[in-house]
Amino acid sequence: MGWRKGLFRKRPLDQQLDSELRFHIDELTEANIALGFSPEEARRRAVLEFGGQQQIREEVQDVYRLPLVESALANLKSALRFMRKSPAFSITVVATLALGIGANSAVFSALDAVILRPLPFPDADQLVRLDQINPKVRSPETQVAPVRLEDWNRMNSTFQAIAGYYTQDESETSGTFPEKVTMAAVTPRFLQVWGVAPALGRGFNPDEERFGGPDAVIISDRYWRGHFGANPDALGKKLHMGGYSYTIVGIMPASFLFPERDVDAWSAVPMNAPYAQSRDSAWFITVGRLKPCVTVQQAQANLTTVQAQLGEQYPKTDGELAVYVQPLKDTIVGDVRGSLWFLFGSVSLLLVIGCTNVAALLLARATQRQHEIAIRFSLGASRTAVVIQLLAEAFVLALTGAAFGLAVAGGASRAFRALAGNLPRIEEIRLDWRIVLYSLVCTVVVTLLCGLLPALRATRRNLSGSMAQANRTQVSTRSRLQWLLVGVQVSLAVALLAGAGLLLRSFQALGKVSPGFEAGHILTLHISGGWGETADMRALAQRIDRTLDALGTVPGVEATATSANPPGVPAEYETEHTFIEGQTEPGRKVHVESRFVSASYFFTMQIPLLAGELCREPTPPSDPKGGGWGSLNVMVNRSFANTYLPGATPIGYHVQLPGGNFIPPPGEIRGVVGDAREQGLNHAPVPTVYWCVNDPDPDPYYLIRTQAEPMTMAQTLRRKIHEIEPARSVFDIMPLDERLGEAFVDTRLRTVLLSFFAVTAVSLACLGLYGTLSYFVNVRRREVGLRLALGAARGQVLRQFLLEGLGVAVLGCVCGLALAVAFTRVLAGMLSGVSPSDATTLVGVVLLILTVAAGASLLPAARAARVDPMQVLREE
Amino acid sequence: MPTEKSDLLQGTLDMLILKIVALGPVHGYGISLRIRQISKEMLRVQQGSLYPALHRLEKRGWLESDWGESDNGRQAKFYRLSAKGRRQLGKEESNWHRLAGAVSQILETAS
Repeated sequence: MGWRKGLFRKRPLDQQLDSELRFHIDELTEANIALGFSPEEARRRAVLEFGGQQQIREEVQDVYRLPLVESALANLKSALRFMRKSPAFSITVVATLALGIGANSAVFSALDAVILRPLPFPDADQLVRLDQINPKVRSPETQVAPVRLEDWNRMNSTFQAIAGYYTQDESETSGTFPEKVTMAAVTPRFLQVWGVAPALGRGFNPDEERFGGPDAVIISDRYWRGHFGANPDALGKKLHMGGYSYTIVGIMPASFLFPERDVDAWSAVPMNAPYAQSRDSAWFITVGRLKPCVTVQQAQANLTTVQAQLGEQYPKTDGELAVYVQPLKDTIVGDVRGSLWFLFGSVSLLLVIGCTNVAALLLARATQRQHEIAIRFSLGASRTAVVIQLLAEAFVLALTGAAFGLAVAGGASRAFRALAGNLPRIEEIRLDWRIVLYSLVCTVVVTLLCGLLPALRATRRNLSGSMAQANRTQVSTRSRLQWLLVGVQVSLAVALLAGAGLLLRSFQALGKVSPGFEAGHILTLHISGGWGETADMRALAQRIDRTLDALGTVPGVEATATSANPPGVPAEYETEHTFIEGQTEPGRKVHVESRFVSASYFFTMQIPLLAGELCREPTPPSDPKGGGWGSLNVMVNRSFANTYLPGATPIGYHVQLPGGNFIPPPGEIRGVVGDAREQGLNHAPVPTVYWCVNDPDPDPYYLIRTQAEPMTMAQTLRRKIHEIEPARSVFDIMPLDERLGEAFVDTRLRTVLLSFFAVTAVSLACLGLYGTLSYFVNVRRREVGLRLALGAARGQVLRQFLLEGLGVAVLGCVCGLALAVAFTRVLAGMLSGVSPSDATTLVGVVLLILTVAAGASLLPAARAARVDPMQVLREE
Repeated sequence: MPTEKSDLLQGTLDMLILKIVALGPVHGYGISLRIRQISKEMLRVQQGSLYPALHRLEKRGWLESDWGESDNGRQAKFYRLSAKGRRQLGKEESNWHRLAGAVSQILETAS
């Protein structure tokens, strides 16, 4: 209520005050008249004696003014004055905080965009990913058959809609050269699931979703701008792909980037097509939108029931299937989550170091201002008021730091995006009000962290104490606190540096590891192909063979091959196989990595043949449903042979891939090849079966070994492909080395950023050490001068200060190592080829910190030793 | 004019005001007169400090005020001590005695 009273009595207050003051002057005038002055003279003297009325009025009004606003303004003013008065100090603090808050805000902006924010769709928390899995066979095939998807849609009670999609790269042949178009084939209800409507035009109508209906396509905003110059006339125009012409019926908004950020178009899959009726086909990556207020668990339970009913109805195909429902965001963001939280934790440590540094600076500063504070106390200021004033100064510094920090964050954010490459949702990172708000919150926290301790310290002595104190003599308690702050900085820096060191060593180990294949001089590319081609497997195999042969004749090309996944790039395609013949250890599950490669793969990748002979590719039957595959050839790696067939010759054994109803043909082991790090350079080779088929899908990776630098061949190869396949587009041309690098973008991001944080942390800690020691050298100049005058050796003084600084650094290192143990435990999962307690790294870190700390201590110590006793004594 | 006039420190002014108001309702002019009279012209209170101090004390709830007629029939604002103010005065007085005692002790023994 106090403030309201203050507001409402404002007007009468002025009048009351006027009468009160007028009364005083009247009385004075009267007294003067009584002394014998004329009335005019008496009044003049009274007014003179009374003094400045306006000033009194203002001061009295100040008493009633809303205290918050009033004192905030005054504190702000004094804080700005404080900043102006000591520019070097202010610049140091602002720069430290700008770096701390800026880096923190930048990482937070990434964390916010990728993890905290919902996906950029309306009510995105209702979106879930649905997988069909057969728990018995551990198959990675989780796509859903079209009929089953329709069954789920019909029978569930928890979803607004369920839709599926798959992507393929088509060639658009309207132009001179065929051009790749990334096409998502989607089921009905696709747009309903996303809750997004085309920005222009319309979605598919039921006619277009029917088998035999008109072919229609919705294009992405990017494609529209790139190919139609954002002209609305694009609606109704045609795209020519795979012998069909599609009418453009809609254009999606720019924000709609699903399933991938470079999707060009969406087309409708007819669910009633005769080829879509098998319950065995697994086509669709499936996404559903939950009804409002339905949880993922409820949806899971509901769909489990639905699938159980289907299992009774179709025991052969659906009996063993289970459904797995998970939030879509989890599947998109995936592993990056850990990385980002880790980085955020690290950058927050950096901010803490910055705060500690600033707190130490403010503490030293407060000592110098002891006198000023004492005067304020003697003038009747309350402790709260002084503390608030000191905090206001810290706040203004932090706010200035945050303002510069936002600029830093802008730059850092761009650097982050560049480093993050193709991590999910990176394109959504931006600086907006949320980040500004976050920086403000940071500012407040920083103010409290940095400012509170020095402010409380500085105001702790009471009036008589500080009046009596000669500030040069009382440094002991304060020095302990300041050294403690420095120690904290050093130990946090040690922890960060240890983490960075381990990541760097791990990264280095990654470069040194022998992958088991030769990655240099390999060009990789794609040639567009549609899933429709799998209807005639023989033609597909022949087409790919023809292409490989043609590429092989190009001068400068040494070998060519295809593979479903590029070597050395994590693919996670582990499945359980079964042996057809007797296993050496019956009952043991055979978990192997399956890879689908052409027979020329081993020669091209220079993976050595250890036993047996190279495989041959089978000639596929023209109708895959009719059987007649005979057996396939497979190669196994050394790990496989050692793990599952020790002591036996693996040649001639047959292995079987798991399958639902459609049993794939068994594979006959033809030979053993060397171990290669197929799952990624950071994964030790696992037992692997290579299935020798050149057409695992219509658009495999083409691997071309060249004599020269791979990219120099790109145009020649592209022309050659155009010669033999004029209707197909070539895209995604990239040396294998680069692809291997891209697979580690996450690791690289962590390593680069943590190294940067660590270097900054060490610099800050050294700055703190240097600043604190310099301060004490200054404070103790008189003592040093006296000691020198009394005959102390300069070397002794130097050693004393040096050891003081180093002592703190050593203690910091000890605590830091303990911290590092905890910190690197978090890191353990991100390391390869180096243990989290790697002695070399830890010793290196400690040595580095001690060296730098010695350097930082040496300067002030040397300054102390150079003190001129005469000058100091004269100053007294 | 006597040269040995002292200006008051702010903290002490508050205490003196409370003390004078404790004697009975009094207006600002009265307070300034009393301080001068009682201190035998040694202490002089600037009006510039007196009125802000009065209002500050009133705001803290140590003083209460109402308008009344002065001896010569003018409207004046009279200040009274509140219960809270009385407690505060007690505290400040004993503080002051302690401090003054300590200071004079030092002055006497150290000379």
